[in-house]
Amino acid sequence: MIDLHGYGPRLAEGALVTVEVAVLSLVLSVILGLLTASAKMSRSWFLHRLGTLYTTVIRGIPDLVLMLLLFFGGQMGVNVITDWLYYQFDIDIFININEFVAGVLTIGLIFGAYMGETFRGAFLAVEYGQIEAARAYGMNHWLVFKRVRFPQMMRHALPGLSNNWMVLLKTTALVSVIGLSDMVRIASEASKSTREPFTFMLLVGAVYLAIASVSEWGFARLQKRYSVGFGEAD
Amino acid sequence: MAATPLPLEVRNITKRFGETEVLKGLSLQAHKGDVITLIGASGSGKSTFLRCMNLLEQPNEGELLVHGEEIQFKQTRHGREPADWNQVVRMRAKLSMVFQSFNLWAHMTLLENVIEAPVHVLGKSKKEAIEHARALLERVGLADRADYYPAQMSGGQQQRGAIARALAMDPEVMLFDEPTSALDPELVGDVLKVMRDLADEGRTMIVVTHEMAFARDVSTQVLYLHQGIVEEAGPPAEVLDTPRSERLKQFLAPKH
Amino acid sequence: MQALSEWFTELLADNTIFTAQTLGYYGSGLVTTVQLVFLSLIIGLVLAVPLAIGRSSQRRWIRTPIFLYTYVFRGTPLLIQLYLIYYGVVFFDGIQETWLWVLLEEPFVPALIAFTLNTAAYTTEIFRGAIKATPRGEIEAARAYGMSRRLMMRRIILPSAFRRALPAYGNEVIFMLHASAIASVVTIMDLTGAARFIYARYYAPFDAFLFVAAIYLCLTFAILYLFRYLEKRLLAHLKPLEQ
Repeated sequence: MIDLHGYGPRLAEGALVTVEVAVLSLVLSVILGLLTASAKMSRSWFLHRLGTLYTTVIRGIPDLVLMLLLFFGGQMGVNVITDWLYYQFDIDIFININEFVAGVLTIGLIFGAYMGETFRGAFLAVEYGQIEAARAYGMNHWLVFKRVRFPQMMRHALPGLSNNWMVLLKTTALVSVIGLSDMVRIASEASKSTREPFTFMLLVGAVYLAIASVSEWGFARLQKRYSVGFGEAD
Repeated sequence: MAATPLPLEVRNITKRFGETEVLKGLSLQAHKGDVITLIGASGSGKSTFLRCMNLLEQPNEGELLVHGEEIQFKQTRHGREPADWNQVVRMRAKLSMVFQSFNLWAHMTLLENVIEAPVHVLGKSKKEAIEHARALLERVGLADRADYYPAQMSGGQQQRGAIARALAMDPEVMLFDEPTSALDPELVGDVLKVMRDLADEGRTMIVVTHEMAFARDVSTQVLYLHQGIVEEAGPPAEVLDTPRSERLKQFLAPKH
Repeated sequence: MQALSEWFTELLADNTIFTAQTLGYYGSGLVTTVQLVFLSLIIGLVLAVPLAIGRSSQRRWIRTPIFLYTYVFRGTPLLIQLYLIYYGVVFFDGIQETWLWVLLEEPFVPALIAFTLNTAAYTTEIFRGAIKATPRGEIEAARAYGMSRRLMMRRIILPSAFRRALPAYGNEVIFMLHASAIASVVTIMDLTGAARFIYARYYAPFDAFLFVAAIYLCLTFAILYLFRYLEKRLLAHLKPLEQ
């Protein structure tokens, strides 16, 4: 058994933090992605431009820079707003942009842009005849979306979604830089104090690979489910 | 045996894909200037037979002689394989193939396609190869397309270009694998015309085709294949005009 | 020219953060970032070509180790790889006494090693995909015309695979530019390092980070346009002519 010098429990806690950050960012990014995709496909010139601006700018800036900006700048920005609310309307609220919030917000924001592209491509890949048929049977807008467009879109979106998730998972390592005690930060501290970087870094690397492998399996199953009636999963 | 060796001789080729035997002992002798046409329904094994001749498919049994030189085989775990790949490479350089889907190299211009193998396989000088290539492109009516990429040409042009590429090797035998099957009907004529010219010139050719008029007019010998065996063979007048078997009669009957 | 420089001096005089000195920090940060990214991409590219050929080999003992390498380096965060090599070097007993220490003392070299290994892994997989996507017919034609494996690789498969890999490789270059920001974590004064330094000094997050974000954005667009231009030139052969 490898000697973790008593860092075992803290590493386990760190792993939990990593998974929490990853899952919450994923949820946020999927919501943002769906919104972005609809904005980009909308007939409104303004929404279309807004969506394009968001995806272009986000994809042009390093994740770390965005995270530092949100973490260090976010609190300042929020303080300006809350101060204004207090002096103007006597509303006293306190919003704390801590490492966790900043991390999830940044990663969600970044991957929202990528998810937007994935979903847009997937929606466009659904044959128009399918939607027409649903309308012809009297389905309303929401029903068409829920019963036909969404399930068919998912089949096309899943490969991209799975890919984004794998990249997102690795991006969570950056939260260690702004001070959140995820498993990378704990491993880094442990490496320095025990002078055994190989033990800890390789272990954490293995945990990332394990999470990736489990999710790969999960996505393969989902793909199978959404490919019902389309022959082989592509 | 004749004093000069035959350009190509094939003896008793068999080929299995898994359990199915697609070629059941086929033989063929090509003399200099022969135009041998292989006809038959799809699945009869005619393309596989042709592809065995330059070892794009490995026959399970049988012998193969190119210009009198017998190809050596050895048994391995994966089945029979050529014993000496250098020999295969040498032999392939003497037989050049024209494919159904042209298979021109997409990242090279037509001229580059034509000089590629002469320069890098035969070791010709680039200057000499280019001169020869230009003459060949002229011959197939593509002199003005030398600097085009394959994707920029029609199917018929690509196939004529592919024939120029094959000619550039100065091959002993040319193998044609359904050269007109992937073409739009109006483009077939130009390709067939080039092939007729080659036959008139005395080229040794083995052609898998569905073009019965070509088989009748041009070939010296027709082989009708059915389920991996040669069912009928002989001069075109004999095989095509007085078929003996019921199957060949049906195969040749005009289709509506 | 005179007017321009006056205007510029005035502009700088108006604020306390963007002085000639801080702009100097950003400038040298830019140089460090470009060096780091450019060197790791070049070395990674050179490594990736033979690795991709080996990865496509039919021999398992060649294929499998390369697969494991790309799997591990693509499946784990670059930050971990950086830490592993950076701390690994620092804590490697006795290394301080050898001549290697001259090279490894600066964090630049461990970072360069980590980035190179990372991009080589991604590039290997990009090339492998492109090699695998070579049209079967073109390979068959090469075989039928008497090309040996080696010649076919050199003349047919690689030239067409490189062209096909171009769009994906463009993304990898942008990815490396962005990923290089973590060099600042191991005390390298790259662009992000400069921004962090200036933030710490003036406590002005927006000025420090928005400015550097804008520089990255410009670099990203420059790379994007470069690759678009390359694609236009090198992928011209795949487009049919307009009739």
